[in-house]
Amino acid sequence: MSQLILQSVVSGLLVGGMYGLVALGLALAFGVLKVLNVAHGELLMLGGYTAFFAFTFWGLDPFVSLPLVFVVMFGFGVIVYLTLFRYVTRTEVHTRIKNSLLISFGLVLVLQALAVRFFTADERTISTAYSSEAISIGLVRIPVVRLAGLVVAVVAALLLEWLLNRTRFGRAVRATSEDWTRAALSGVDVNRVYLIAFAISAALAGLAGSMISLGYSVSPNIGLGWTLKALIVVVLAGLGSMRGIIVAGLFLGLTESLAAVWLGGEYREVAALVLFLIVLSIRPQGLFGRAYA
Amino acid sequence: MLRVEGLEVAYGDLQVVWGASFEVPGESIVTILGPNGAGKTTTLLALMGLLPVVAGSVTFNGVSLVGVPTHQIVERGLVLIPEERAAFATLTVEENLDLGAYTPRARHSREQKMSEVLELFPRLAERMRQRAGTLSGGERQMLAIGKALMARPEVLILDEPSLGLAPIIVEHTFEAIEKVRDRGVSVLLVEQHVEMALQIADHAYVLDMGSIVADGTSSELSADARVQDAYLSL
Repeated sequence: MSQLILQSVVSGLLVGGMYGLVALGLALAFGVLKVLNVAHGELLMLGGYTAFFAFTFWGLDPFVSLPLVFVVMFGFGVIVYLTLFRYVTRTEVHTRIKNSLLISFGLVLVLQALAVRFFTADERTISTAYSSEAISIGLVRIPVVRLAGLVVAVVAALLLEWLLNRTRFGRAVRATSEDWTRAALSGVDVNRVYLIAFAISAALAGLAGSMISLGYSVSPNIGLGWTLKALIVVVLAGLGSMRGIIVAGLFLGLTESLAAVWLGGEYREVAALVLFLIVLSIRPQGLFGRAYA
Repeated sequence: MLRVEGLEVAYGDLQVVWGASFEVPGESIVTILGPNGAGKTTTLLALMGLLPVVAGSVTFNGVSLVGVPTHQIVERGLVLIPEERAAFATLTVEENLDLGAYTPRARHSREQKMSEVLELFPRLAERMRQRAGTLSGGERQMLAIGKALMARPEVLILDEPSLGLAPIIVEHTFEAIEKVRDRGVSVLLVEQHVEMALQIADHAYVLDMGSIVADGTSSELSADARVQDAYLSL
């Protein structure tokens, strides 16, 4: 019995790392641009396909193609921002959430339909030589491809924190997220900050997609499921701390996994939503968020 | 240096400023006085490119600023300290000052400006690693002015710097404004604290209902009984 629990703790933490990685980009776009991009999961899906096709056609190992996926999705983020979200960030901050919801939901439908048309609805997984390898500790198995996903998530969060806290550009990003008007008055080109922050958000979704196509699978309709998990993670963690996002992701993965063992598989999602409601009512600013007026 | 002529500004359909004209010459303190809702802050936001100019002209060193994005106006040397909470609460004092020198023009002189600011406000030096949100009202005011000076302004614009501050801190703030002017920076001061503003200003304008209704040197306006009664007595 304890064997089963240990194994589910491990797989919960591993999938939780993915939740955290997906949520990083969503939190960045929400915190800085004040837009809610529900098509974040579709960006993830595209990143997953990029890694998959780079592997299938060019034989590129998913870890080798990771920078490529980052660059491709960064570029795609630039296009999406300039064609769609630029018009949302021109509006007042308090109207951006509803406008971005409408626009990004449209984007969800378009990208899903295009993915079915061009990539077919088949589920794809990158199967490398090491895909089935696992580290065994006692009787607990840790699949290396999923462990690698967790490592990528942690490294991405630390790099993002470094960018935000230790660089000039990062200071401009934090100032913009606190108050874009005063950031502009400090000489910050706010539109450029928005563009780059959104592109980084898309690139992070791409990294997540890459790791998901390796450790899990991609298909045209996986997006919304991951977006929902990421939304829960962002609310759990609150804004302001990127490593807090990863911790909240792990927490969510763990809760789901243990609920599945103790209460039965059908309670996996229920437990996640109950956790979400509890945190929302006790600590509305999130577990790691700063409450400032 | 800064010349505004026939400025008209509107929030959507609601026009607030109706043809304001004024001028800030080099190395002087100019103040715009007037009651609440006269359009003072609106005028400043339009100068900085944060509200669209409906009509009229804004020229700075002979170049028009109408339609120029805010960050480029800052780069050219026009720096506004907005009303209240000008510094970023979530950034440390040092980060706020660094952010002040964000424009390419100010970046190169960051070190030199930093020591000038810390000399002007030694208190900030003790608070460098603290978040600005934890500062007292007076310290936050010093930080706001210090951050603006980091941008190497040619004209420093202050919107109601005395708002919500204790009298002694208001006095310190006004002393600092005079020191800034003595260092060769022109100052445009929007104030409701009429008496103190007139004491340090070289020239004053009175704005009411979106138009300039009186102007003159500080002593002229102080002596003008009509202006005093209508606009300047609080």
